[in-house]
Amino acid sequence: MTDATRTEPARRPARRPGPGLVLWGSVALFALLFALVAYRVGVSTAPSAAARPSLVRKVVKRRVVTTIVPTPGRSSVSASPASTSESGAEPIVTGAS
Amino acid sequence: MSGEHDITFDAMGSHVRLLIGEPGPGLRSAALAAERARETILAFDAALSRFKPDSELCALNEDPREAVPASPLLRRAVRAGLQAAERTGGLVDPTLVGEIEAAGYVGSRAGVQGASLGSALAEAPPRRPAQPDPRERWRRFLVDEEAGEIRRPPGLRFDTGGTGKGLAADLLAEDLRGYSRFVVDCGGDIRIGGADALVNPFEVYVEHPLSGERAFVLRLGHGGVATSGLNVRVWRGEDGRFAHHLIDPARGEPAWTGLVGATALGDTTVEAETLSKAALLSGPEGAREVLAPLGGLIVHDGGRVEPVGSLSLRPRVRWPQPAEESGLAA
Repeated sequence: MTDATRTEPARRPARRPGPGLVLWGSVALFALLFALVAYRVGVSTAPSAAARPSLVRKVVKRRVVTTIVPTPGRSSVSASPASTSESGAEPIVTGAS
Repeated sequence: MSGEHDITFDAMGSHVRLLIGEPGPGLRSAALAAERARETILAFDAALSRFKPDSELCALNEDPREAVPASPLLRRAVRAGLQAAERTGGLVDPTLVGEIEAAGYVGSRAGVQGASLGSALAEAPPRRPAQPDPRERWRRFLVDEEAGEIRRPPGLRFDTGGTGKGLAADLLAEDLRGYSRFVVDCGGDIRIGGADALVNPFEVYVEHPLSGERAFVLRLGHGGVATSGLNVRVWRGEDGRFAHHLIDPARGEPAWTGLVGATALGDTTVEAETLSKAALLSGPEGAREVLAPLGGLIVHDGGRVEPVGSLSLRPRVRWPQPAEESGLAA
């Protein structure tokens, strides 16, 4: 076993960035990214003469809900001769004819 | 039910009522549309009435030729009658003109006071379901659209009465499609349509054939509803027996099946009218089968009202079909 002793230069402790640098760096990076995103969004939504028209298709599903309710009362079949009015006051009745 | 233009007039031996809402872009006003529809109905009646000797239908029935030129309206009416026969296996038979005349229904009975249905039921023969005529004479009618002709053996007559009112309602519905909502009521055979009716449906009362009271209320946003019953056209024949206008095809006589009324729903009024007649002719058991798919009501001889199929459930959800996709509306 040798008794040689090697000497190495003393390591200097790593310099950690100061809080001010971290803070302003973060702000700057955020601003940069924000500006980049804002630019991209602006470009994509800007009207362009070459833009292809988009086709919006509206899908409408129709359903009829029919309920049936027993109702006592007199029938009033519309049996008047020719008559005209602007509001349907008489009930609509289905029956043999 | 407010806001619609409402007009009632007499045609086809019944009262016809139109309720027409707001017109869509480019369409004439509801009042003008109603007047146009009235003219259409009157022309329909003039062409297809069995009781008007100068009608095109009577001309067809009297024509000695085998192939008879026919207007698009008559061809469509005959097609509707044949489709009804096909759909019901011949139970709704449009060739029973001789039989119904033999029963005493020779002229229009509009405005004629009928006999008491209660008395008729008391004297009626034992109840039994009607059956199709095994001869299937209706199959001998052929509508040739290319030639614009109707072919059949001379002397075989056709009656559009079984589907006429329903077809009239469906024809008007095609013209009124662009209005916010509408009702076409041809003597109780009703067609409802319009986009607004889907969210704001009409209430349709079903009249009880014996009491005249409102038996039920249907809320309908689309499609057809029709009622067949014995209460309006029942009379005492020359032989002293009671008769009515719904003929048993197999026996050639009025059918007494145990039912006095049947109401049917359909995608079109022709379909509803076909099903209501088939249900009444089938008797209680058969009527349940006929009405089950689309829903309906039957009224027994004793007056009991029986909802059938989906109408016996609530709420009832029914998917509408556009009229032009329905075979019976074509």
